[in-house]
Amino acid sequence: MTPTTRLRVLITVLGLDQHEAGALAVSRLLRDGGAEVIYAGRFQLPETIATTAIDEDVDVVGISAHSWEVLHYAEELALRLGQADPPIPIVVGGSVITAADQVEILSKGIDATVLPTAPEEEIIATFYRLAEARRPRL
Amino acid sequence: MKQARDSAPAERALFYTPESVAIDYERDLGDPGSYPHTRGTRPPNTRRETEGHDFLVRELSGEGPPSRSNEQFHYLLEHGATGLDVIGDTPTQCFMDPDHPYAQHAVGNQGVSICRGSDFVALYEGIPLDRVSCDHSLPGGFAAAGLFLAAETHGHLPELLRGSAILPPLFAEDTGYSSNLPIELHMRLATDSIEFCSERMPKFHAFVEDTYYISDGSVGIVDEMALGFVELREVVRRLVARGLDVDLFAPRIALLVNCRMDFFAEIAKIRASRRIYARMMRDEFGAKDPRSLAINVAAHTSGATMTSRQIGNNIARGAIQSVALYLAGVRAMEISAFDEAIRTPSREAHIVGLGTQHVVQLESGIADVSDPLGGSWYVESLTDEIETKITDRIAEIEALGDVVELAENGYFRAIFTEAMVDRSREVVDGTRPVVGVNINEIPPERDTLLRDLLENRIAPCYDRIEEIAAWRASRDMGPVVTALDNLERLCRDGSNIMPGIVEAMRSEASMGESIGVLRECYGRPYDPMGCVERPR
Repeated sequence: MTPTTRLRVLITVLGLDQHEAGALAVSRLLRDGGAEVIYAGRFQLPETIATTAIDEDVDVVGISAHSWEVLHYAEELALRLGQADPPIPIVVGGSVITAADQVEILSKGIDATVLPTAPEEEIIATFYRLAEARRPRL
Repeated sequence: MKQARDSAPAERALFYTPESVAIDYERDLGDPGSYPHTRGTRPPNTRRETEGHDFLVRELSGEGPPSRSNEQFHYLLEHGATGLDVIGDTPTQCFMDPDHPYAQHAVGNQGVSICRGSDFVALYEGIPLDRVSCDHSLPGGFAAAGLFLAAETHGHLPELLRGSAILPPLFAEDTGYSSNLPIELHMRLATDSIEFCSERMPKFHAFVEDTYYISDGSVGIVDEMALGFVELREVVRRLVARGLDVDLFAPRIALLVNCRMDFFAEIAKIRASRRIYARMMRDEFGAKDPRSLAINVAAHTSGATMTSRQIGNNIARGAIQSVALYLAGVRAMEISAFDEAIRTPSREAHIVGLGTQHVVQLESGIADVSDPLGGSWYVESLTDEIETKITDRIAEIEALGDVVELAENGYFRAIFTEAMVDRSREVVDGTRPVVGVNINEIPPERDTLLRDLLENRIAPCYDRIEEIAAWRASRDMGPVVTALDNLERLCRDGSNIMPGIVEAMRSEASMGESIGVLRECYGRPYDPMGCVERPR
């Protein structure tokens, strides 16, 4: 794979969550900001997300959630992406995430969350902050 | 280009005059109940206290196992609902059984879990199916088959069943719940179930063209209706090509539309759609029965207009949308629950939704006179403009070729995804004002009203998964395999598959098993996820 200094992210939704509007909007946002975005779409489980993230050597995985499934998959997702070398950080955001969910998701090993109220700048900054921790040359 | 295609408020005049419209009353409007049904499909009946115009008040509902949803139905009927509207959980909507590995954390928490004939029987326990209209946001074909079976079990004549089933064959994979079905199979389920119901359940609206699915969160009102009509027309063409008389099934086609916040445009959209349908069915499809020209319009108010901030404002949005729908003369509505943006609707939000409809309908006098905006220069002008834009767009899309091929090749998905991103961008850059989100915001620490409801979650029904797994293992597999083989034979030889689906349900085959067999008939894997195998 050609070395790149651009932010490289995987955006997806989890389980049977069918809502793609947020995932597509964040993908566009990051692309417009100069990132390479791999969009994995619907029907993804922690295992398939981890396989794609590692194969594609992404800097960050972003999960867009409009289903409570994310609360149940968070721990496994963190575990699987934590086994990458170096570990691949994960950010979870979406309309269903409340302040209490934020605490729960972070306690399960997810690296960052963005609430539905987050402005665009915060979303982009979160991805770059996590990526820089993994790949300092960014 | 995009702006010109949709109806944009910025393009409208500051005021309208008699010169803004050129209406021929008989040709373009007619009295309510008269062709071309711009003003409504039924002549107003005698005004009855507390009943409005035979209006169906309902709330989208369904959660947990069928028994819990049944309790919910009884609760809603006891609180003034006059019809039921059930939605499946995500696995159900994807034709997936609850014990499928992909379903494990999504069972029963965003709708009811349904996967077998006995589930439909439990769902409708104690419901007077001969009197209560039951609408279904459940998988195409299986909803009608399940209701048929439930009625049979509970001793109701199928001929008396009322209600409807949503069928989104062309766009289901792109905008609704993807179930990894080829579009041709979606079409088969749609056309076979319409034909079956026309004969066996003649009062049931077997084909609800659902433009809500098409539009919410993405395309504007012109594409909402244009794409809906493209789908509806393809279904009608296919049924006519089978040799069915259009007047056999057309009286039971209905529209379920979205209602967002462009108040007058939403009203004009519904009036224009009734007119388009009437002219299309008479002039293009040769319908002769007056009922075939009059399409009932129901509406679901937009969940995408509900915000996760200052959720109390959503009650105001629901009330405004409800007023628009009464003024447009829809026959039934559901108001998106005010907590829709952040959770599966709570019981409290359902009651507010019902109460909103009751307040608007019963206290304001809004339903006392049909089409009260008829003759408004603004509304008539907008109705004409939207009608022209919708019909132009239908022609533009159909000129591109076979619409099923367009769907399979991703043409429509590109429209939807682009619109989703555009809509999100409009909110971010402030082009579309949303109170509490991009204007008149309040800080999160003060945004506390009703927020305690948000943490009250519906847990996945893991018990239901265990129940279905145990049921599956305990079945007599002989009848299951025979029924699935029979369903395959019907599908492959071009027969109507509906009797096969009903028989499979009677024989205890699951919905996931039946759809897997049908997928194989269309050259797809039994389980696209590769997790389960066909029973042999």
